[in-house]
Amino acid sequence: MNVSIVPALKVLRPAAMLVIVILVGLVLGYWANATFVPGNSPEQPIAFSHKIHAGDNEVPCLYCHTQARRSPSAGVPAVSKCVGCHLEVATEKPQIRLLMSYWENREPIPWIKVHDLPDFVHFTHKRHVLANIECQTCHGPVETMDRITVSSRAVNGSAQVGHPWKMGLCLSCHRENEVVNGIDCLTCHK
Amino acid sequence: MSLFSRFMDGWRKYRKPGYYDEFDYHWTMTIDLDKCTGCEACVTACQAENNIPVVGEDEMAKGREMQWIRIERYWEGEYPNAKLSFIPMMCQHCDAAPCETVCPVGATYHNQDGLNAQIYNRCIGTRACAVYCPYEVRYFNYYDHEWDSPLEQQLNPDVTVRGKGVMEKCTFCIQRIRQAKDVAKDDDRRRVQDGEMQPACVQTCPTKALVFGDRKDHESQVYKSMNDPRNYRVLDELNTDSSVFYLKKVDA
Amino acid sequence: MPNIDRREFLKLVGAGGVSVGAGFMLREANKDPREYLIPHVLAPEDFSSGLDTFYNSVCSMCPAGCGISVRTREGRAKKIEGNPAHPVSQGRLCTLGQAGLQALYNPDRLTAPMRRTGEGESASFEEITWEQGLKQVGDRLDLLRAARRGNRVAFLTQGVRGHLAQLFESFMRQLGSPRLLHYDFDHPHTLYAANQQFFGESRLPYYDLANTRLLLSFGADYLNNWISPVHHSLGFGESRQGRADVRGRFVQIEPRMSISGAAADEWIPAKPGTEGILALGLAHHIVAEGNYSGADLGAWTNALADYTPDAVAEQTGVPVNTITRLADSFVDTTPSLAIGGGAAGNHSNGVDTLVAVNALNYLVGNIGQEGGLVLNPEPAGPAVQQHRASYSAMVELAEAARQGEIDILIISGTNPVFTLPPAAEFAEALAQIPLVVSLSSFLDETTALADVILPSHTYLESWGDDFPEPGVGFSVGAVSQPVVSPLYNTRGTGDIILDLARRMGSSSVMPWQNMEEFLKYGWRRIYQRGDSQTLAQGFDAFWTSVLKAGAWGETTNGSTAFTLNPDVIAGIGVAPPEFSGSEEGYPFILHPYLSPNFHDGRGANLPWMQELPDPMTSVVYGSWVEVNPVTAEEMGLSEGDLVDIQSPHGQLRVPVFVYPAIMPNVIAIPIGQGHGEYGRYAKGRGVNPIEILSPLLEPITGNLASSATRVNLTPTGGRVKLVKTGGVSRDLGRDIVQHTSLGVEVSSAADNSIPITEVTT
Repeated sequence: MNVSIVPALKVLRPAAMLVIVILVGLVLGYWANATFVPGNSPEQPIAFSHKIHAGDNEVPCLYCHTQARRSPSAGVPAVSKCVGCHLEVATEKPQIRLLMSYWENREPIPWIKVHDLPDFVHFTHKRHVLANIECQTCHGPVETMDRITVSSRAVNGSAQVGHPWKMGLCLSCHRENEVVNGIDCLTCHK
Repeated sequence: MSLFSRFMDGWRKYRKPGYYDEFDYHWTMTIDLDKCTGCEACVTACQAENNIPVVGEDEMAKGREMQWIRIERYWEGEYPNAKLSFIPMMCQHCDAAPCETVCPVGATYHNQDGLNAQIYNRCIGTRACAVYCPYEVRYFNYYDHEWDSPLEQQLNPDVTVRGKGVMEKCTFCIQRIRQAKDVAKDDDRRRVQDGEMQPACVQTCPTKALVFGDRKDHESQVYKSMNDPRNYRVLDELNTDSSVFYLKKVDA
Repeated sequence: MPNIDRREFLKLVGAGGVSVGAGFMLREANKDPREYLIPHVLAPEDFSSGLDTFYNSVCSMCPAGCGISVRTREGRAKKIEGNPAHPVSQGRLCTLGQAGLQALYNPDRLTAPMRRTGEGESASFEEITWEQGLKQVGDRLDLLRAARRGNRVAFLTQGVRGHLAQLFESFMRQLGSPRLLHYDFDHPHTLYAANQQFFGESRLPYYDLANTRLLLSFGADYLNNWISPVHHSLGFGESRQGRADVRGRFVQIEPRMSISGAAADEWIPAKPGTEGILALGLAHHIVAEGNYSGADLGAWTNALADYTPDAVAEQTGVPVNTITRLADSFVDTTPSLAIGGGAAGNHSNGVDTLVAVNALNYLVGNIGQEGGLVLNPEPAGPAVQQHRASYSAMVELAEAARQGEIDILIISGTNPVFTLPPAAEFAEALAQIPLVVSLSSFLDETTALADVILPSHTYLESWGDDFPEPGVGFSVGAVSQPVVSPLYNTRGTGDIILDLARRMGSSSVMPWQNMEEFLKYGWRRIYQRGDSQTLAQGFDAFWTSVLKAGAWGETTNGSTAFTLNPDVIAGIGVAPPEFSGSEEGYPFILHPYLSPNFHDGRGANLPWMQELPDPMTSVVYGSWVEVNPVTAEEMGLSEGDLVDIQSPHGQLRVPVFVYPAIMPNVIAIPIGQGHGEYGRYAKGRGVNPIEILSPLLEPITGNLASSATRVNLTPTGGRVKLVKTGGVSRDLGRDIVQHTSLGVEVSSAADNSIPITEVTT
């Protein structure tokens, strides 16, 4: 007696199609988030624009991020650093007034961290700055950013926006420049 | 070389224990058993330095202690001639480490400084390395550990806080080695000098029983110590080529 | 194209839309949580994010006073090391010192002043402000002082030295009260008394272990907790394997093998309390063999006449040839050194025992010599010793309280409700005091009975100073500075006392605003001792240099000449020890010992210390009683069996640990567990052997003869699993620990000094 599976398939077809649609939908949604939602570009408490400061006014990176040359952490400048100029400069602008209100209340500005490496990574700014690596290499064209986004100029020189840093970024540069012990895991993994 | 042959070459070198012909530094420790009093200052120093969690009484009862360096005690004889010897035991950083051969994902390997490295990210928790280790110095994180606030304020930012499912062990305080190399690099790219850097256990030992250094530096204290006539290695017959030398306890 | 009807189509579209949204949110949810970068408002000078700042200070986890160097990162203390520049610790630190971080960041710290509300069962503490708490206490003090009844105030503190001790003195003097007591369970009263008697010195001498060739220790656990363990460990290491041609030999005499006993080349069990008799037996042999030729030989021969090797062997249980051999080697090896203390000093004959030990040193002529016993110079700063309270002083205080003579008791850093046996009835006495004020940082057993709590900073948040005792042969001082900002609404002990002094109208005599100011005032005197170079830099530069170095020292030539008062010789003699209870009813002698992890119980609230395996037994998180293997077999006991230990004054239940190196009729229980309060890690864990101690005293000092309690042991039939990290603890032929005999060339390890990293104030 020949029993065909076609009737069984016919019954299963709606369920199968539902499952396929759901799976495809999940993947599509995930991909959409990955591609279109900018990697990490939160709105900061004060709309500080690197474009105005580092770009138009050509303030050097190390003027504010002073620790970069001697510490693993580049450091975020104290409120007093901003006030140093803005006591006189552009005082009528609303964002500056907001800045001065923080200063008057002796309150620190709660910046949201954009460049966040996982805790198991040991990255030292000091060694990279002392190796004369441009900040833009890893941070991208900061001097063109009104709002900081995770980006990098990486190896081939073109800005790559919207993708959070991955290990490949560090590894490719370490390989290309033949850094001493550069590809030893323990160099970066704590 | 093609990508494939480069891969195979690296894989072959990577998987063969003791493949380095020339170490960059060769970190070594000697432990003088005639001086060790079993005070366990080294144990607590290591706990503090390396973010080692406190596992609690129940886990300890299951034998899941978490101490990268432990003091073992060995009694000999009977009353009134009973004698007790202490021996600190931590990862021996074997140049022919059995644990390195078995890891299926390559989370543990030997680096160019003679250290047995454990990379937590790669570890998938098979625990085979702990089985292969003859010294039983590898410890597994069975749980995500918690620190009762504000004890977490004491955690060392230079050391990862390990999560559930990864293996950990003594690293010879790699974070201190890294920092010492950083300091040395600032100072005209010289090498790390003898005595410039000590793991936490060595630094705190009140009897100076532990000595640490680079055995490639023939002027170093550790080089002299490891060539002392009293030196031996624990379970040396297993040919693990360990980097920790013990100095025999003197009966007098 | 399959046939889909509209309903199905819409269902699929709906499901598809929802899943696209779900996929989108899935990724969103798995993103790392938001982190913040909080900058400073005003960038401080000594701060760099990502870089360490080291502060030098002084450890307070035990009375030794080791200098420490604390690594801080962004205002948080991360690691404590020994300070290489400090002569006591020399860059090294013990296990309890390392755990000081957990005292600072302990979850059970007292965070604000509190006042007791309610009575009895319903009593609890409510939070109050500093002003309220200080006012309540200050007003009462002021009233008493004005009415010239300041002597109704008692001050009970842990043993402190330095300017804090001086501050307490001034405070009590302002009140006109003599009731200032420094109470520590482990204070070696008999050692001090023996030194006073023999040397006429109120300070302990420097025991030069580093340079000695033979150390005879009569019960002193010098590597663990006898007066200055880190320094003695340094000396031990140096003596053993620090010199090219000589290996120091260590002999330990005690009824239960301690850590020092394990490290010793020879461990000699002597009957408890007979260590002094043994010492005199050795002395007798030295004199009898003609190995002593001082002018007072005749006096010695007379004094030691009864202590023949046979008589001594009978009393101590040590064989005759061991006695003579030890005596001969003590004379033949130069330099040799004898020390005593610990349980040996905690018997009814404690002072006489330790005088006998000093006699041994005298007879071999090592006093003032390298490798022997060196008398310490006068300390540069206050090192007040005269208020050290023995057990009988505490009983007197309790009696005074019961008689209604005490209106206010201030307690700082000591926990007598835990460390005094119930026979002292101290807790009951506290109830008779109208106002009990605790300055403790933790809710320990004593603080739980207080009326007002004014919590102090921990030592890592405090200003203070220390002049270590025993000294190291020359004057040493160190300033303890805060390494982090205070975590909670607490204040420095010194600051609290100064505030109270102000409130009772003593600000003209004690005008300093805070402890830091007072320290600077006191250290000005030390500054003025300096040479012209020191004086030229000015006090501020001097102060900064002291803080930066973490230690101050002055080479003073102590006198090496020493003449013994002949009356002392006539008084030499050690009576057999007395014990509580009869031998029939109580066949065992209880040997309570200070645990390496918890000291006298203070370390029990530190999780690292609870999890640290006991060095000798490897047990964690609990208590045990050590029983000799033959005794255990006779009584049918094995590891984990619960037994009842009963003394004439109390009873405990505790599991057995079969211990290979303890005398058959002695049982030992570590001190430190058995807390009723003191935080989540300590509470309700293990037993406190102090609870069953009998109030037997050493008559000269009034010290508690804590090793003189007899007990009996009754199996209960119950069993628990002893949690320990060690297994069988025998080598079983694996050759893990290898030995060699003397004659093999020993190493000449050079000095392993640690370079100090950049130190800033």
